[in-house]
Amino acid sequence: MFWNLTDSTRKRQSVVCRFPNGKLVLYCKGADNVIYERLADGNYDIKKTSREHLEQFGSAGLRTLCLAYRDLSMDQYKSWNEKFVQAKSSLRDRDKKLDEVAELIEKDLILIGCTAIEDKLQEGVPACIETLSAAGIKIWVLTGDKMETAINIAYACSLVNNDTKQFIISSETDTIREAEDRGDPVEIARVIKESVKQSLRSYLEEARRSLSNTPERKLAFIIDGRCLMYALDPALRVNLLGLSLICHSVVCCRVSPLQKAQVTSLVRKGARKITLSIGDGANDVSMIQAAHVGIGISGQEGMQAVMASDFAIAQFRYLTDLLLVHGRWSYLRLCKVITYFFYKNLTFTLTQFWFTFQTGFSGQRFYDDWFQSLYNVIFTALPVIMVGLFDKDVSASLSKKYPQLYQEGIRNTFFKWKVIAVWGFFAFYQSIVFYYFTAAASQHGHGSSGKILGQWDVSTMAFTCVVVTVNLRLLMSCNSITRWHYFSVAGSIAAWFLFIFIYSAIMTSFDRQENVYFVIYVLMSTFFFYLTLILVPVIALFGDFLYLSLQRWLFPYDYQVVQEMHKDDPHEYSMIRLPERSHLSPEEARSYAISMLPRENSKHTGFAFDSPGYESFFASQQGVCVPHKPWDVARRASMKQQRQQPQRTGRS
Amino acid sequence: MSVSGSESAASANKPKYSKFTQQELPACKPLLTPGIVIGAFSLIGIIFVPIGLASLSASQEIVELIDRYDEECVTASDKIGFIQDSKANKACTRKITVPKPMKGPIHVYYQLENFYQNHRRYVQSRSDQQLRDKDYKDPKAVAKACDPEATTGDGSLIVPCGLIAWSLFNDTYAFSVNKKSVTVNKKDIAWASDKNSKFGSNVFPVNFQKGGLIGGGNLNDKLPLSEQEDLIVWMRTAALPTFRKLYGRIETDIMASDEITVVIQNNYNTYSFGGTKAVVLSTASWIGGKNNFIGVAYVAVGGICLLLAMGFVVLYVVKPRALGDPAYLSWNKEAAEYSH
Repeated sequence: MFWNLTDSTRKRQSVVCRFPNGKLVLYCKGADNVIYERLADGNYDIKKTSREHLEQFGSAGLRTLCLAYRDLSMDQYKSWNEKFVQAKSSLRDRDKKLDEVAELIEKDLILIGCTAIEDKLQEGVPACIETLSAAGIKIWVLTGDKMETAINIAYACSLVNNDTKQFIISSETDTIREAEDRGDPVEIARVIKESVKQSLRSYLEEARRSLSNTPERKLAFIIDGRCLMYALDPALRVNLLGLSLICHSVVCCRVSPLQKAQVTSLVRKGARKITLSIGDGANDVSMIQAAHVGIGISGQEGMQAVMASDFAIAQFRYLTDLLLVHGRWSYLRLCKVITYFFYKNLTFTLTQFWFTFQTGFSGQRFYDDWFQSLYNVIFTALPVIMVGLFDKDVSASLSKKYPQLYQEGIRNTFFKWKVIAVWGFFAFYQSIVFYYFTAAASQHGHGSSGKILGQWDVSTMAFTCVVVTVNLRLLMSCNSITRWHYFSVAGSIAAWFLFIFIYSAIMTSFDRQENVYFVIYVLMSTFFFYLTLILVPVIALFGDFLYLSLQRWLFPYDYQVVQEMHKDDPHEYSMIRLPERSHLSPEEARSYAISMLPRENSKHTGFAFDSPGYESFFASQQGVCVPHKPWDVARRASMKQQRQQPQRTGRS
Repeated sequence: MSVSGSESAASANKPKYSKFTQQELPACKPLLTPGIVIGAFSLIGIIFVPIGLASLSASQEIVELIDRYDEECVTASDKIGFIQDSKANKACTRKITVPKPMKGPIHVYYQLENFYQNHRRYVQSRSDQQLRDKDYKDPKAVAKACDPEATTGDGSLIVPCGLIAWSLFNDTYAFSVNKKSVTVNKKDIAWASDKNSKFGSNVFPVNFQKGGLIGGGNLNDKLPLSEQEDLIVWMRTAALPTFRKLYGRIETDIMASDEITVVIQNNYNTYSFGGTKAVVLSTASWIGGKNNFIGVAYVAVGGICLLLAMGFVVLYVVKPRALGDPAYLSWNKEAAEYSH
């Protein structure tokens, strides 16, 4: 007859049904803690058994729900319905009023039982997370699931392993349960806040100690949504941030979407780090928008995350490609393009600058107006675009094989002041070479006919050298040169010559355009032109070449070492089809598969989250047999023993 | 069947693969290995040194005689007054001894120092359209372009207008070798493109040097501008404050130890601004005039490159680094430091 929609804040959904015989029943399903809060007194054994089952399911890594019901009389329903309709049509605070109204009817429920769902992780997620951790990216998990489920997920993703020291702040401790039983909300809040404060402080000290004594031991911090609410208080936020940043991985469970966004903003503003959020559902939208880079996974949960994100990918594992391959290349290309752009304009302008000293500081321009305007548009524009599109320091597979290369971006290696200063120095050096060598060489420079060159001849000569040098310098700084690079560099230089041939051959009525009339033909009739054209670019690039050789030999960057290590690898194409059939025999395939199984002996197997291909938990409970794969047998045998242990010790 | 069907359905959404859009173009990946570095430096050294030596030897063969005369040609104490006096006798005789034989044609230049033909107001002060076209008579545009030497006192246009033309150099030189006079060929001293296109063959000087102040030489009213080669040479403004311009050519050869006598009409006033004047006699070869700079630069660069090639050989021997040694990766280096 009506239903309240589920939302992640309420964490429950109810529906009122009318049976054919007139009976009204309210059915409610939701997360276990919210349902348990609203149960009627009594029925202690069913509550206890259900709680045990829930813990079992959680340890097995399944997502759990509780079901409950309540009988309603017609009067109760009618009076409640009036309030509900009023709340639904209110203009202000509609959600809050609906919440309050729902609270009125969703109480004194009777527990039916609980359900568990197996939710498989996508293929390749653990590998992806390991790679990203190796790249120096800290990974936090923010989920709405229970703590046990979240911890299981963390194990499955290799964020946490048996050696990791775990700092857990949970709202299910005994002290808090006692306060809850007493029922005073102010008291509960105070108790929780106190306990969170104490835990944060002691964990922070412990973590710092662990970091200084045993730095290679990983630390993990696990907190649940209720405690997080108090931990995000301005008073406790600093400790929270400090502890989170020390730990290698952070898991927040039972968080609401708002808290996801709050945690993200905490890191973004408090720690001033670049944050990236990735999510696939509508409850991730606020988190995606709060981070610097928001990524949505398009898929089964709809397109809201995708629509709110900056980048959308189809599967989680594509994140490695996005960050380690394309993100890294993008950083490299951006740095190269920007520094090169400033360098070429600095060279070009400083050459003019030196001229001012010899014009009596009158401000006479060295170059013709059109040269200056078209410099950045035609003569040096296209090659740098090619570099920005195609430059690769190492190939895609090597980028993923050496994730530590990503650190270059984190440390901002290619855009430090030192790097810019070096480019600036060489721009300065080259401008001196261009100006003085051309001017000095032309002082008595003239053709064999004895005729003298004027100002515009000298400036055209210098400009030709600038264009040639600047384009060749780009080739020198490329890591991979495709034929488009050759075309664009040769094309730019050819465009310059074409332009000057045409420009200096026409006579228009615009005043003072004839300064450069016929200049290039005059120049090209002298040997001086060719000698200078060979000499000056070589001298100008000489300094850069020397620097690059010394830098690569004595202080190589990481990517340069990787390039050398793999310099004989063939060029990779992603479309080359690998042979479909493996060349291994079945025996070899089985022993290979077994050898690839993880060897850990742990209570948390992350079993439910393993990749597709493994048999489902429920099917095995029901005794439904799926054709066994040979390597499953070994794993299954080791599994059965472990699962019996928690049942025996159990929680009392 | 169904597998391939679903495959083709899935791949129907995939964008078309092309090497360009997937950034998989075949590429050359240059690495600055030791071989390449040493090879590049050696190559440059090997190419440049011979070119430099050839240029240098060509330059050394050229004989260039420079004689600065502005100080010694004016004996009066008030130099500026002397120069500006139109009635004074400004002839001046200079003697130059030729050290080496000079093969004709020998080029005669006048060289000015501290004369900023590249000053912004000076360079702008001309009207190219007026020089080309007899019928161009837009007084406002001309006045704007050629200010302050656009019109005479009573407003009539000056042709050619502007400061560049107005400051035309007007010293003359008369040469005699061993007391026998030689003619100076003043034809073909300007670039053909200037003569044929920039200066009109139907434009004649009008009201030249009648603006109030006299800035330099005068022009023959009867000759069209395209034949006034001195003016054309002068108006191709020089790049630097020290420059020389072609005056003419002596077509005969001159032997070593011959004595050249130059009679200079010292008309041009460089004394007001501290400029200097000199007369230059020079032979020319394929490289142009005497220009040691190019030869020296080539030899120097080639030499430095060869030295660097050897230096790099020493560097690679003294500080070897195996190419592609993983120990140089920064995370391995940190781990190595850590374990110490």
